[in-house]
Amino acid sequence: MRRALAFAWLRLRREPGRMLLGVIGVTAIGALLFDMLLLSNGLLVSFRERLDRSGFDVRVIASESAVIAGPPIDGVSAKLNELEREPSIAAVQRVRAASADMAGHPSTRHVAVAGVDLNAPVPWTLLEGSPPLHPQIAPAPLVINRNLARAFHLTVGSPVVLNGRCGDASRPLPLDATVAGIAEFQNDAADALTAATSSQAVAALCGERGDVADMLLVRSNPAAGGPDAAAAAIRAAFPALHALTNEQIVERFSRVEFSYFRQLSSVLTTVTLFFGLLLITVLLTVSVNQQLGEIAALRALGLSRARVMAGVLCESALLIGFGGIAAVPIGGLLSRWLDAILRSMPGIPADARFFVFTLHALEIHALLLVIGAVLAAVYPMRLVATLPIAATLRREVVS
Amino acid sequence: MTVSVVAAHAVSRTFVMPAGSVRALRHVSLSVQPGEYVSVVGPSGCGKSTLLHLLGCIDVPTAGSVVMDDVDVSTLTDSARSALRLRRIGFVFQRFFLLPMLTAWENVELPQAEAGVSRAERRERTRELLEYVGLSARASHRPAELSGGEMQRVAIARALANRPGLLLADEPTGELDQATGAQIVSLFDRLNADGTALVIVTHDPEVAARAARTVRMRDGEIVEETTRTCS
Repeated sequence: MRRALAFAWLRLRREPGRMLLGVIGVTAIGALLFDMLLLSNGLLVSFRERLDRSGFDVRVIASESAVIAGPPIDGVSAKLNELEREPSIAAVQRVRAASADMAGHPSTRHVAVAGVDLNAPVPWTLLEGSPPLHPQIAPAPLVINRNLARAFHLTVGSPVVLNGRCGDASRPLPLDATVAGIAEFQNDAADALTAATSSQAVAALCGERGDVADMLLVRSNPAAGGPDAAAAAIRAAFPALHALTNEQIVERFSRVEFSYFRQLSSVLTTVTLFFGLLLITVLLTVSVNQQLGEIAALRALGLSRARVMAGVLCESALLIGFGGIAAVPIGGLLSRWLDAILRSMPGIPADARFFVFTLHALEIHALLLVIGAVLAAVYPMRLVATLPIAATLRREVVS
Repeated sequence: MTVSVVAAHAVSRTFVMPAGSVRALRHVSLSVQPGEYVSVVGPSGCGKSTLLHLLGCIDVPTAGSVVMDDVDVSTLTDSARSALRLRRIGFVFQRFFLLPMLTAWENVELPQAEAGVSRAERRERTRELLEYVGLSARASHRPAELSGGEMQRVAIARALANRPGLLLADEPTGELDQATGAQIVSLFDRLNADGTALVIVTHDPEVAARAARTVRMRDGEIVEETTRTCS
């Protein structure tokens, strides 16, 4: 095989134009293939990483529908008290999603507001200011994201008026607030204006009297069974609620929402691979057809059928190997560019990634290229395997 | 009784063409003894090359048998026939068929490497063969840098690489001018004198006349055999 490989290399060097064409073609196709593989799993990996980074590993909602799209959870305070007594649960946070307008220059802007328990672990990372611990309403302590601070020129201590656009209120309810901190919120879109305050302040903003939340975020106790035990305890205590571990959310996301991405990338991967195969098959077939006399002579000199077939396979492997290796860095650069384009779409969390490099993607890339090299060589190998030696030599002399 | 290097017994070869079958050889028998020098002559299409291909085990007869080492080669697998050709038969083609990306040295070394000859032995044998054909000084040249006669001499050296008992040449002077052809023929004379059995297919009566035995063919049959007596 080593001799066949060396021989194949010499054959390729003999026709540098063909080699260059093949390698460039495979590089371009391989880069796209690699990107499809990064895309096929990237969003899922990124989603998983973001969930894990949040510090909560179980999410509780009132319905089986998508997260924060169903009915709210009633009687939250009592439920929190009961859940906090569960040994498998380390901490619980309530989240009430609301929206408000903020008047400013040149126009009023829409702000997403989250109401939480300020004394429980919070789903943001404070960048400036101090953690607001007192859930007073006038003025309410407000934690805002950088976009909001930039848009309204707000700093820690700035007074703010939010006009609630939620609940049953027929007109906007104003809420006086003071910026207590500037933070980075999980799941923030790149252009999102986000604020958070106490759940009491959000209830006032929305004119709500009930004790409700859209979601409970739970941090499990690893020493008492981790997220699975916590989710099981929640289901046992409140059968009407739906407790999902990060693992289950990712699995559900993969099965439902993400399946479109995967199907799309599978189709594109197949098409890309097909064109790669076609290119190499054509190049090898042309090359073999140009060298039929030479191959027949080699066979006449005693080179076995397997040996000449191995030569073609090695040529295919070299073309696809060189192209496939070059495709990885080029595909990597291309994926960064494509990722930036996709992440700039409205509503996409700033820390989401569509193309995520994983060793698994690299392994699949290599495996597909190996399969590709073999498949691309099948037809030209068949040509040399079935080459009639005597007839070919006769034809060469006559021609 | 001398054991022949190769023997064709009543071989026929029919080619199936879209326009119908063509019988290229009809019940031809030919035996080549060790060290013998045989030329095969005849008009184009009379079956000379077909007979050579059968003797060289690159084709199998439709009927009859080709025997080498007491084995009917048509009963061998393709891989066994390849191994036989590699070690026992040398081929010289009209169009040389040297590998253009290899030097003269590498072309001669190739069949030895395929036969698993050690690097040291290959080096020695290649040096010896290039010296034999008078091309030691051109060892590092590629075919494109050699003349037609030089290319054919490299091809002869390559054919001899694994010390075959039989050398088959199909119109070896067909692409060469008369003077260069004469050099090649002299080389064949020397080879034969050194003990290699030769079968040469040729149109050239002068080349054919150098052989001890001349087989004349017509319409796929041997019509005459003449043996030259030593003068």
